[in-house]
Formats: sequence, C-alpha cells, structure tokens
Amino acid sequence: MRLDWIELRDFRSYREASLRISPGLTAVVGPNGEGKTNLLEALYYLVALESPRVSSDLPLVRMAPGAIGGSAFLRGEAESGSGRFLIEVEIRADGANRVQVNRSAVRRKRDLRRHLRAVFSGPDDLDVVQGEPDHRRRFMDEVVHTMWPTKEGLASAYERALRQRNRLLKDWPGTGEPAGLEGWDAELVTHGSALTAARRQAVEAIEARAEEEFRAISDRGQGALVVEYRPSVEADAADLTHAFREALTARRADELIRRSTLVGPHRDELALRVEGLVARGFASHGEAWAAAVSLRLALARAVAEETGELPTVFLDDPFSALDPVRRRRLAEGLHGRGQLLIAIPDEQQLPEGAAVWRVRDGSVLIGEGTT
Amino acid sequence: MFEGPIQDLIDELSRLPGIGPKSAQRLAFYVVKAPALDAKRLADALVAAKERMRFCRECFCVSEGDLCRICRDPGRDASVICVVEESKDQAAIEKAGVIKGRYHVLGGAISPLEGIGPDDLRVQELLDRVARDHVQEVILATNPNLEGNATAMYVAALLKPAGITVTRLASGLPVGGDLEYADEVTLGQALEGRREM
Ligand SMILES: [Zn+2]
Repeated sequence: MRLDWIELRDFRSYREASLRISPGLTAVVGPNGEGKTNLLEALYYLVALESPRVSSDLPLVRMAPGAIGGSAFLRGEAESGSGRFLIEVEIRADGANRVQVNRSAVRRKRDLRRHLRAVFSGPDDLDVVQGEPDHRRRFMDEVVHTMWPTKEGLASAYERALRQRNRLLKDWPGTGEPAGLEGWDAELVTHGSALTAARRQAVEAIEARAEEEFRAISDRGQGALVVEYRPSVEADAADLTHAFREALTARRADELIRRSTLVGPHRDELALRVEGLVARGFASHGEAWAAAVSLRLALARAVAEETGELPTVFLDDPFSALDPVRRRRLAEGLHGRGQLLIAIPDEQQLPEGAAVWRVRDGSVLIGEGTT
Repeated sequence: MFEGPIQDLIDELSRLPGIGPKSAQRLAFYVVKAPALDAKRLADALVAAKERMRFCRECFCVSEGDLCRICRDPGRDASVICVVEESKDQAAIEKAGVIKGRYHVLGGAISPLEGIGPDDLRVQELLDRVARDHVQEVILATNPNLEGNATAMYVAALLKPAGITVTRLASGLPVGGDLEYADEVTLGQALEGRREM
C-alpha cells in the first residue's frame, strides 16, 4: 500500500496543508504540541476512516472559539494491489461523516479498509504492555480487524450480547430463572466462540514476529519476548462452542450470585513476558516500549504476509523511551518496510535517508534529510 | 423559537420518533411553504389513521377493523403462525408471498438493555392462540440480530414441550439486519429454507 498525497483542511491544528508522500521512510519533525502527531493521525484517518487516538471525531474538527458545527476535510490518493483510490472525507462536528472513494459513497469502513491497510503505533500503546488487561484485549481485536477487515463486527456483536446478558442478570428479581437467559447464553456462545477463534488466529499471526522485532531492537537472546493468548475458554476450534457452553453451565450458580457473566472473551488475557518476567510491572520503561512497538511492527509484517502487500506504517514518537543503543537499532531497521512515517520531537533522532517534514505551528515545511 | 402555530407544529413534529428539532423545523416550513402540498389532506390522513386503525385482536398487526384482512380470510391456514416483531415485518413477509398461514406480532424483541422483557411482548397471547387453534407449526421470523435470536429462542423453549414444530428463518438474511430491509427474493428463500429449532 502506498499513500501518494494528502490535503487537509480544518483538521485539528491545521487550517490547510497539502503534501506529497514518499514511498519509503518519512520523518515528521517538530517540537511536541506543534501538530506532528495530528499529521500522522490525518494520514491514518484517510485510509482507516477512524482516528487511532480518539473514538469521537469531534476533536478532529478545527473550530474557531465559540463556533459550533463545521467540518474537517481530508483528501488524498492511495494505491494498492487492488487499484488506485481517490479518497475524500468530510468529518462533521455535528452529523454523519461523508466519505467518497473514487467519487462514489462508501457506507462501511471495511469497504475501503480491505483494500488499504495501515498500522499505527503511538505512546498510548504502552498501555498494551503495562496497562489493565482490557488494553490487551482491545489490541487483539485491532489485530483481528486490521488483518481481516470483514471480521470487524465480531467484537462489537460479542460486546452487545454480553451487555444484554449482564443487564438481564442484574435486573433479575432473584427468584426462579432469569426469563430468557437461554437465548442470551446462545448469543454469548455464538459470538464469544467466534471472537475467541479470531483472537487465537490473530495472536498466532504475530507472536513469533513480535519476538523477532523485539530481539532486533533490544539485542536479547531467543525467547526474550513471549506473547501468549490465554483465553477464558480454552479448547480446539472444533470444540469451542461446546466447551464454552459447558463452562457457562459450570459457573451458572456463581453467575446468579454475582449477577454477572463470568465466562467469555471479556475475561481473556494476552500474556506478555520479557526475559521470563511478566511485562506488566516488571519490564523497564524502555523494555516495555520496545515490546509495545514490536507488537505493532509484528502486526504490519503479519498483514504483509496475509495480503501479499506491505501496509503503510505510522510510528508516533518511537525513539524517546529508548536508550541510545536501542534507538539506533530500531532506526536502522526502519528501511525496507515499505511506506513508513515516523513523528519525532527533534533533529537528533532523524534516521538516515529519511524524507523530512518539519512541522511548526500548524504548518509543514518539506525539507532535506541528513544523509 | 418561532411565533404561534409554526412553533406548535415544530413541537408536535419533534415528538415523533426519529425526528430531531432540525428535521421538525424543515418539515414544518415545508408544509407551510409548499403550494403543491394540501395541508388539509395530510391532517385528514393523520386523523383517519389514528381513529380508524387499530391492532387486530388476534394477531396484533395494524388493522382497519377489529380483525385484520388476513385473520378474516378463511383461506389462510390457521394451523401455521408466522411470528414477527412488528407489523412492518409482517408486511415485508406478506409481500414475499410464501406464508399460507397467519401471523402474530410480538410488538418488539427481548432486550434487557432497553428494559424489554418477555412480559412486555405478546407472548402469552401467542401461547393462547396456539392452544386454541391447534396450531401445528410456528415460524419464528424475528429479526436476524442478537435480540431477535434471543427472542426466538425464548419463544421456542415455551412451544416445543407442546409438541409443536418450531422453525426459524434460514440463513441468507444479512446477519444483524432488519427484516423490513431484506429484499423479497432473499426473504422468500429464507422462509422456504427455514430449519427446525
Ligand atoms: Zn390479524
């Protein structure tokens, strides 16, 4: 996948910008708070049709103080094995966004996302390694829908079945069986089994690659980073629904006492171990970040393997948390990965041979890199 | 805020489902301005619909009389009942023309999040009809989404002990979708290929 150019209007801090994008490595340089992350965000949004940072589009629209409404506009062109795509997006502060691809309206994100793949890594990813388990579950679901865009509905279907079932258990008067519980059991098992199977496939696709990426950055030996899926319901794909059902039955009495669903992918864990220790809590800041960025780079390689094409990769501030040795090792490994854009806070971090965009106060200057 | 009758109209319109204040304003100004639109005809249609339409006492679909056209028709097989969530689903299935029996409108689907339980639906009325009319087959045509599936499962569990054949629409319908948006061919195929629950 390759993004050729982008135009932004009223997106975050940008009133207007127009950029050609190198097919290789580009470094966006600028002090923090000057808008370099916003630029990566705009590029990612153009192909993924959502922000990697915020779930609401409202902060993306640049508005004059006190104004209401308004829109941000993104326009650009990308090419992949499945064709050329002119993408035009209007992000509206109030109302539904408008998206056109090659001049016709696109209704679902996945209709574009299955042609154009992108992977975004940013400082928030530290939570995948060091945060609560829900960050790791969300990461697994991101891997699922980046690799297989048609599966993007799995996680939300399960989430809805879970919320319905939990509400039923909460509102249950406490005598007899909660009315209709069987129906929600069936929905939970159907969607939960599908999600479990997809997460297992997703983790299998990235675990070995994440370990390789981690070793390349940190100069550690074999087994330095262990990535392992620990599902709530453990069974072979063929027995999954059966095992899920049995586990639910076994916990039924407990569920009625605690009035909450105790079995299912909402209790999955993605175990991460660095040098044999649980990454959460034990890894140093530098190691935790190296693990976080390795997971995203592994996803990019897994997508390449799955689609036969390198995705566009965005790394927001990849070096700051690393010591000079790890920083150099990561920087050296950024070439040859197809189109890759990094945002960095100062010139000291410029990798060799990168195209350079200098960002200052909501505008972009195209400059020469160091060689 | 506008003055007088136009604001009254906006207020009334914005109480309708799916109509926000902005749409209400647009509709109100359209009604006032459009020369081609006879406001009187619109008003009469509203009043007539409210006064003359009610729910069929048998199947609970929207009906002009006490009994709907289908429940009045002696040619319809009373031993087969097709269960739907809303009247609009019944209309969609009727258009596909494959149901020789009658219908039963539940009035929604079970959804704990919206506070809708089995007692809020016309489930008991269905059980009464099934017993009284010696119904042989019940086709559960609730929407192919989470709530529709869970509702079908609940109703099926009540009917099966009585030895009644309970079927569910075959797959082929868009999952998570609404019946009313399925095209006639797809809907027809789904009904022909229904499977026993
Ligand atoms: Zn009727």
